[in-house]
Amino acid sequence: MPLSVGNQRTQITLLLTALVAVSLVSLLIGAGSVGPLRALAVLGGSQDSDASFVVWQLRAPRTLIGIIVGMALGVAGALLQAVSRNPLAEPGLLGVSAGAAFAVALTLVMGASAATMRISVAQLGALLGCICVLSVTRVRGLGSDPVRLVLAGAAFSGLLGSLTSLMLLFDQRAADEIRFWVIGSLAGRRLDDVVAMLPSMLVAAVAVVFIARPLAALALGERAASGLGHHPGLIRWLVVACVALLVGAATAIAGPIAFVGLVVPFAARALAGPDIRRTLWFCLPIGPLMVLMADIIARVAVAPSELPIGVLTALCGAPVLVAVVRARRLPTL
Amino acid sequence: MKSSASDLPTSAYVPERRSPPVAAPPGYWRIAWQSTRGNACSLLIERRGVAVSAGLGVALVCACILYLSLGSMALAPSAVLPALFGRGEMISVFTVQELRLPRLVAACLTGGAFALAGVLMQTLARNRLATPGIIGIDNGATAFAVASVVGMGVSLAPPAMALAGAATAAALTFGLVAGGGTQGYRFIVAGIGVGAVFGAVTQLILARVAIDTANAAYPWTVGSLNARPGDAVGLLAVGLGVGVIAAFVLARPLSLMRFKDATAYGLGVNVKARRFQVLMLSVVLTALAVAVAGPVGMVGLIGPEIARSLASSRQVPLVASLLSGALVMVLADLAGRTLLAPIEIPVGIVTAVIGGPWLLWILMRPQRSHA
Repeated sequence: MPLSVGNQRTQITLLLTALVAVSLVSLLIGAGSVGPLRALAVLGGSQDSDASFVVWQLRAPRTLIGIIVGMALGVAGALLQAVSRNPLAEPGLLGVSAGAAFAVALTLVMGASAATMRISVAQLGALLGCICVLSVTRVRGLGSDPVRLVLAGAAFSGLLGSLTSLMLLFDQRAADEIRFWVIGSLAGRRLDDVVAMLPSMLVAAVAVVFIARPLAALALGERAASGLGHHPGLIRWLVVACVALLVGAATAIAGPIAFVGLVVPFAARALAGPDIRRTLWFCLPIGPLMVLMADIIARVAVAPSELPIGVLTALCGAPVLVAVVRARRLPTL
Repeated sequence: MKSSASDLPTSAYVPERRSPPVAAPPGYWRIAWQSTRGNACSLLIERRGVAVSAGLGVALVCACILYLSLGSMALAPSAVLPALFGRGEMISVFTVQELRLPRLVAACLTGGAFALAGVLMQTLARNRLATPGIIGIDNGATAFAVASVVGMGVSLAPPAMALAGAATAAALTFGLVAGGGTQGYRFIVAGIGVGAVFGAVTQLILARVAIDTANAAYPWTVGSLNARPGDAVGLLAVGLGVGVIAAFVLARPLSLMRFKDATAYGLGVNVKARRFQVLMLSVVLTALAVAVAGPVGMVGLIGPEIARSLASSRQVPLVASLLSGALVMVLADLAGRTLLAPIEIPVGIVTAVIGGPWLLWILMRPQRSHA
């Protein structure tokens, strides 16, 4: 049932305004000594070299990455939930992010240096994780029970997580390199990282535009979708590829961040109603909003040090998970 | 004829005076004795249970000897026993008595406590997946205990804090599903949510303290027998002793509580009171074990699983779970110490790597009733 606060165009406008405001705050506030007023002066064109370095070289890329990662994780969550018809399907919970993290850790231990190949490797790992999850839903009885699937996903990602930490025990260098990355953080990312993840994001965006309509048809059931001239099997594979591209790139940059893909589509569905196309539109501003807010809190909560962003998304996402599970009737999508 | 409900012949009953000798049911030994005043009393002991427990006990002893002999300085198993009693070379006596024995004791105690807590919680919730590690109780205990370890302005000792944390997490999980029942997967997922919150709280605490303190606490947050504070081990030994006795007292109501509430009431079990006692027992055992070794919750799943696959389903396999939990813990820590030597794998990671596929297997096989 869509919430009835204005019509949906007003809601989108409000969300976009909020996103702009939060991005601004993200540029102005930080853990360091450059306060909001100095940062504001820089935005107004002041020549303060220290402050301008902090704002343009540190906070701006970080904000940009937060926006992109938020969009990617939110959209990926919505897609995965639509294709598995499960309101609890979330890349972080189901082990897709863990698959990406595992792949990255594996290549690091095997001697690759970070950054360059990280994104494609992470996407490959995410693809494998995704295929595992969706083939599990094909096992008799498991696909029809949303909660059981989440449980299997949690077991799967717990297993991958402990394998990752096992590999990091082998290799001190790799451990130092990704210790902070492996729990999820936006700190210390540069503009190069944004450039590196853009191509796959664009490909995924184009693909999503094309599959949104068949996906909406698939919500009516496989037979209805075939009757309307779509190919359910093909759609499913495309969705898996998209989710892998999005989650892999986001994980490669920011580390595995759980619960964003659960909370964002949850909120988007509350606003947009059941249509997956509208839900996807709503995910675009809501995802970045959540990630940026979590990142801002991560910066100021324990200043001058930083919090891993995954901590905050878990603190806000786990109650949503419990709320969904507690709902008397668990809707299958 | 005495026939109050609590005297039903599931494991012990008081027959009528001067009753003719009763043959034991198939698969049981019957121990009967008669007092001078003519009061007769008998006890039924399940043969298979005894055999399973004896087998697990022998396996545990073998694993312990292996544990004491392997390591960075390997000893011949024949040299271990003399060294244990202080004979033989100085160096091997020192290695066995001072280095390996305390850790072995800690492994046995924590493994037993986790598995016993696991089987109690499973029976209580009538849910095979409802072990304290999965429904977030381990994480709650860890979060509170870490706050105490890194000195976040709390004066309570880690075991006390772990107890507070475990109780909080249990109250949250059970409170959240109030009315919904603990059977089925929703309860488990609610517990996973609670566990995720406490896991995040642990990270939050670790992020707030100096990096050295955090690094020192880190192995313990994934489950390791390396730190094992001495007073916590002593407390666990006492707690486990008391817990085992309490579990035996509760064994009969426990085996009846596997049925529906109404059935258990009808058979004379005060379900509400017993349920609370079992929950408390499980929470206390988990908390004390977490205070020693950190969250090694998978043992709470694997131990009872092994026990259940070996023992018959007539009773709740308490002893078998206790022993197989200790066995799993000893073997896992042995593997963690020796496989990648000189690097030591925390025992929590070893059990997670073993237990993850096991959990997946439980979830993926065709659904049966979960009792």
